[in-house]
Amino acid sequence: MAELGIGIGWRHELDLSIARLPGVDWVEVVAENLHASHLPETLVALRSRGMPVLPHAVSLSLGSAEPLDTARVEHLAEITQALDAPLASDHVCFVRAGGLDSGHLMPLPRTREALDVLVANVRLAMSIIGTEFALENIAALLEWPDAELTEEQFLTELTERTGCRLIIDVANLYANARNIGTDPVAFLDGIPWERLAYVHMAGGIERDGVYHDTHAHPVLPEVLDLLAELRRRTDPPGVLLERDDDYPPDSELEAELAALRAAVTP
Amino acid sequence: MSLASQQAALLRALLADGPPPSGFSPERLRIEADVLRRKHSRLIAYLRPDLEESLGDRFYPLFAEFTAASPKTSDVRAREYADSFATWLISRGDLPRPRRRLFRR
Repeated sequence: MAELGIGIGWRHELDLSIARLPGVDWVEVVAENLHASHLPETLVALRSRGMPVLPHAVSLSLGSAEPLDTARVEHLAEITQALDAPLASDHVCFVRAGGLDSGHLMPLPRTREALDVLVANVRLAMSIIGTEFALENIAALLEWPDAELTEEQFLTELTERTGCRLIIDVANLYANARNIGTDPVAFLDGIPWERLAYVHMAGGIERDGVYHDTHAHPVLPEVLDLLAELRRRTDPPGVLLERDDDYPPDSELEAELAALRAAVTP
Repeated sequence: MSLASQQAALLRALLADGPPPSGFSPERLRIEADVLRRKHSRLIAYLRPDLEESLGDRFYPLFAEFTAASPKTSDVRAREYADSFATWLISRGDLPRPRRRLFRR
């Protein structure tokens, strides 16, 4: 995949800002919010300017130990094709089980059994999507008991067994270090960087002793420091800012994008 | 217990007032349940802004009560679920019954 550069998560509320913001090389869109037959005009305009638009799914539930909902994968495949995207993605998580829908990304147990389930679902999803596919590490508030693998081992084996790539969310790594005691340096040392698709960055806030990955606050300096730590190990093909709520003025977004660019520019 | 039933038990604990699965921190389960409910309530407010406008500060506690008793299942679309919350509010008298639409000539 070609170098992406600095990007931002495309949201309806940000579409006019994104069109005029300097320093946006590419965007990522939430696949579930789109229909292949009527893409938003502002997004089509970015595509016709030659800007890469990469779809990112949130609902495939690839870690569910229930049959994969292939209709959702087919929808992602359609969006990927409509955007002429070289890569699609989702998360290392589950969202549905026992007929319930969490509406949010839930962590998987880091066990061999859970890894086998994820690998089988990712292989099936990849066979339907037909482009490169990447999976992202999530922010977890809960930890399953009886882990058999570290998160970096789990992600490494996942890429080895499926050929998928990785989106490394540095804010999620920070959240997990704060909330469940992940060692961020061991994580960064254990990731197979040749499999890196791109990096996610986002803001959050601490409430009641827990760090919440809100995507509604500025990126913390500590998270920028972790991006610099990542940059010592690899030159990421892309870095993407996610902002999902409490949208700031363009000038603040521009400054955050510039800070990301500075952190990965030698 | 199989992975499928462990995952289902975790979601029941978080979304449907199910018993806390063993090995999880009860405090974290409470925090995660609150995060999920608040995120869900923002989606409902986005889909049915009229409900939050009418209820004001009562919107979130009422939604939390509704969703714990009848959590959203995978086969229900988000908008249908928002509408069923509205129906529940009306049935309890927390929202006025909608007036019949009058057609103008």
